[in-house]
Amino acid sequence: MTATTAPPRRGPASHARADRDGRHRSPVTWFRGGGLSNLVFLLPLILIFGVFSWFPIVRAVIMSFQETNLVSDPTFVGLDNFRQVLNDPLLWKAVQNTLYFAFLALLFGYPIPLVAAVLMREVRRARGLYSALAYLPVVVPPVVAVLLWKFFYNGSPTGVFNTILGWVGLGPYPWLQDASTAMPSLVLAATWAGAGGTIIIYLAALTSVPPELYDASEVDGAGLWRKIWHVTLPALRGVLFITLILQVIGTAQVFLEPYLFTGGGPNNATLTVLLLIYRYAFQNSLGGDYGAATALSIMLAAVLAVFSILYFRLTRSWSTS
Amino acid sequence: MTLSPTDNPSEIGVVSQDSAATTDAVDDPDGTSRRAAAASRNRRESDRRKVSSRRRKALDGVEDRGALSEADWRRPSIRWGMATTHVLLLVILVVAGLGPMLLLAKYAVTPTQDILRTPMAIFPNGIAWDNLDKAWNDVQVSRYFLNTIWLAVGSWASQILVATTGGYALSVLRPRYGKVVQALVLSTMFVPAIVLLVPLYLTILDPPLLGRSLINSFWAVWLPAGASAFNVLLVQRFFDSLPREVFEAARMDGAGPYRLFWSVVLPMSKPIIGVVSVFAVIAAWKDFLWPLLVLKDPAIQPLSVRLPSIEASTDLGVFLAALAISTLIPVGLFLVFQRMFLQGAGLGGAVKG
Amino acid sequence: MKSTRQAIALTLAGALAISTLAACSSGGSGSDDESSGSDGDGKVTLKVVSLLPGSEQEAIDAFNAQVEEFEAANPDIDIVPEEYEWKATTFAPQLAGGTLPDVFEIPFTDAKTLVENGQLADLDEQFRTLPYADKFNPAIIEAGTGADGHVYAIPAKNVYGVGLHYNRALFESAGLDPDQPPTTWDEVREDAKKIADANPGVAGYMQMSQNNTGGWQLTVNTFARGGRTQEVAEDGTATSTLTNDGTKDALEWLKAMRWEDNSLGSNFLLDWGTMNQAFAAGQVAMYTSGSDVFTSLVQTNAVDQSTYGLAALPLEGDDAGVLTGGTLAAMPANVDESKKEAAIKWIDFFYLAKLVDEKRAVADAETLVANDQPVGTPVLPMFSEEQYLQNQEWIADFINVPLDQMTSYTDTMFDLPLVGEPSQKTQEIYALLDPVVQAVLTDENADVDALLEQANTEAQALLDQG
Repeated sequence: MTATTAPPRRGPASHARADRDGRHRSPVTWFRGGGLSNLVFLLPLILIFGVFSWFPIVRAVIMSFQETNLVSDPTFVGLDNFRQVLNDPLLWKAVQNTLYFAFLALLFGYPIPLVAAVLMREVRRARGLYSALAYLPVVVPPVVAVLLWKFFYNGSPTGVFNTILGWVGLGPYPWLQDASTAMPSLVLAATWAGAGGTIIIYLAALTSVPPELYDASEVDGAGLWRKIWHVTLPALRGVLFITLILQVIGTAQVFLEPYLFTGGGPNNATLTVLLLIYRYAFQNSLGGDYGAATALSIMLAAVLAVFSILYFRLTRSWSTS
Repeated sequence: MTLSPTDNPSEIGVVSQDSAATTDAVDDPDGTSRRAAAASRNRRESDRRKVSSRRRKALDGVEDRGALSEADWRRPSIRWGMATTHVLLLVILVVAGLGPMLLLAKYAVTPTQDILRTPMAIFPNGIAWDNLDKAWNDVQVSRYFLNTIWLAVGSWASQILVATTGGYALSVLRPRYGKVVQALVLSTMFVPAIVLLVPLYLTILDPPLLGRSLINSFWAVWLPAGASAFNVLLVQRFFDSLPREVFEAARMDGAGPYRLFWSVVLPMSKPIIGVVSVFAVIAAWKDFLWPLLVLKDPAIQPLSVRLPSIEASTDLGVFLAALAISTLIPVGLFLVFQRMFLQGAGLGGAVKG
Repeated sequence: MKSTRQAIALTLAGALAISTLAACSSGGSGSDDESSGSDGDGKVTLKVVSLLPGSEQEAIDAFNAQVEEFEAANPDIDIVPEEYEWKATTFAPQLAGGTLPDVFEIPFTDAKTLVENGQLADLDEQFRTLPYADKFNPAIIEAGTGADGHVYAIPAKNVYGVGLHYNRALFESAGLDPDQPPTTWDEVREDAKKIADANPGVAGYMQMSQNNTGGWQLTVNTFARGGRTQEVAEDGTATSTLTNDGTKDALEWLKAMRWEDNSLGSNFLLDWGTMNQAFAAGQVAMYTSGSDVFTSLVQTNAVDQSTYGLAALPLEGDDAGVLTGGTLAAMPANVDESKKEAAIKWIDFFYLAKLVDEKRAVADAETLVANDQPVGTPVLPMFSEEQYLQNQEWIADFINVPLDQMTSYTDTMFDLPLVGEPSQKTQEIYALLDPVVQAVLTDENADVDALLEQANTEAQALLDQG
């Protein structure tokens, strides 16, 4: 999937039009020049982005320096919110857990789809069946998938997984009910739900590998492994990198799994950064600490922005090369 | 708004892939009249047909090749090795992909006590069909499913409206302040959705101008969904790649900006609208945290919010039946539109959760 | 790409078709106007708490019957029932978001702070119109009274003392006499082990641990062993005392059951709702919760009533007590007078009159019985013991709960030393204790002393914030 975006095409006509707009404009020429219709077409965008994106972003920054709880008027407290969050022992626990989640997600979720896709590429009959089977979990609504796996993970000897593993003499495992196995269990379920999508992306990328490259390397006498190593993987380089960064950005914001599987337990073993933000803001029955919540989300955003920029750089450099 | 990892910057990966798919289709700058545009459209159609037939073959794996050559395939060691590997892979895929769903189907009609005591026994005490009946009538899965669809459709409409009109203004009309607007839109891509969680919630509580809270209203989900910088960027890039000459020709024919939009640009934008639509529906389908916060009234909750809230109060057998029904519908859709799902996933597959 | 486009078009067409159906069937449910208190015809619309989400159909029918009865008697009030479950983890955004019913329920522990914050409506004037306003147990009415002496939240539904709920069938399966429930914590442990050994996969005993209920139940167990979790001085300053012997004993006891006896089953992340579910499904043989939980077990979990048993909480040590709490009915601060007037009528009708008025008591019981709903679940008297006994007499013919399976509790319920929940930062400290309970349940090497030391420091920090 070496993306090749043609640079935006600007015909001579549009330049002419831009010149015609001129420098000095009265309301009349503004109107005649299409100023009103420009505005009409931009209005939905400006309204929606203004109210639901730009304004909240600015508000988040302001709120992170305020004490707000909807009960009393907000007051500016300087860096108190940041200090409070950074001093919260739970923050480091949450950061650790989130990194652990990301690490496990890479460990499970990175090689498996790759191997599966490379193998599936060689399937000659009924490849559609393979793809469909691999993709099936992806169409299950994520909440349903989590609730289903939660039931599978029942830690008693009569739980579904424990019964199955019991046939081969393994277990019973506590799954979600133990601080050391809870996180891997979450990641396993998340991988199940997500791997199919990744496989299909890789497959699409593999389909676009020019057959001539394989032909050429065969002329050089390359065997199967060398072809995979020298042709297949380099061809996937771009898409592999993209999925890597996307996965990092995605896992840094994991919420659904810890929230529904374990509520962050046992003993905060699955408390993630996003869950902590949610707790700050919404989990106290007497009113949320919105200042701490926005302060933490802004810190998280700063970290993720680095990845986003990296990502932009990469996709751009690939799409222009 | 989609407060899930699928939102914002993570989706950008699609841009390059997709514009690759669309630009080659519209790479035809020489038309100077609408007739020329029509001709180029025809040519594009035929190109596209070729591409798509190639793709189809690629998917079925008949004529294209992977790392293994015909010669490789004739070697018994490779032949048998690969055959074994593929059978193994198929078994794994069946167990992992289909297995959980078959189990779910079984539990949907198993009495609760059997599920709890002997989950893997095959109906030791008969089949409990009434689980399904209760899930459908008492738990009212049908209603929450319709809510889910309703949410998706509204979010879709909101995204399409903002992306097409905004993209059109920024790409074709190009007002002087367009650059500023565009920069502002782009900059939101670097802000993860989580930053919006609290302030957007407060905005929904007390939206400007409206004077009433949008909590417990579909609008609380629909409107923020429209603020997707990714969509605007996608559509704008697509419009950028359309042949300017067509617009000029239309202007010559006396079409104003509205006619141009409605009769020329929109009809040419079907592919990109399709792509945006797929993303919009998938995102709405997966959304959880945001509807959880703003849709407190059970009557309008989507499945994703309702199912967890009744988990503790619903008999396990009935609950699993409800899960099964909730799964059946999208899986059914998937099986019917399989090719489109898989192509869409390959094309825009970077949208993953 | 053509096939893709066709497929997209098809899907969208399909989705649109379905959505049209949705639009018809959901009938604009997303847009009910909440700001106006009264309809055009002068009717007051009042949103009230109905039942927990996912209740049994019979319970819903019974509730609807009561609504009809009320609306017939008050034609100018339109009652809109809404599902509701108070959860520490969802309440605040609902209150802030204005998505609560007009009359909602809160626990005793939260009322004072909500009043202080100005988040509850002053119901004093309306409350005084109730003929039995001055008959309440003063300690209970105090829970919803503000610093100005006005009543903001009215004692409703129930006042519970915590009891030990048990499954009689599981007791029998382990060769235990279901009429002789354990009376000491050691006996609870012994019986739990026997039950767990006899029924693989079943928890002989289990304790809640999630969504603040872990802290709540740890406090129950602390009180029952003579400990207290905080002390409030005359001047209002509070000291956290989480390192007391009662709490330690409670955790060590739990730890021994988990790691020496393995009698707590295999699901350690339970909250109030999931615990009820596990109990009703026969997965948990014993647990502690409010004495009134039976009603909920019937309404939402369809528990098999013949297997249900309720025993008094074992009390050990000096100053041991039974934790008591309860539910108040309150309204958001911004409601108008007409809603308050309507609300007090509803509170009278639905929550209170049936306790003090013979006619209402009988009518209420009749409706419930007609719909197979529990009547006679033991709760603590909101007014006086005499009033309670009087009430039980009125409805004697209707009582359908298996009271003879609850005698171990009801025999002593009036003699129990009751202790209210800790008053300062209650829910926040409960939240702090959830992970402590979870650690003991899921980590064999959990150090109880260290965990409590840590929690105590954090709790004190919360208390010092004032």
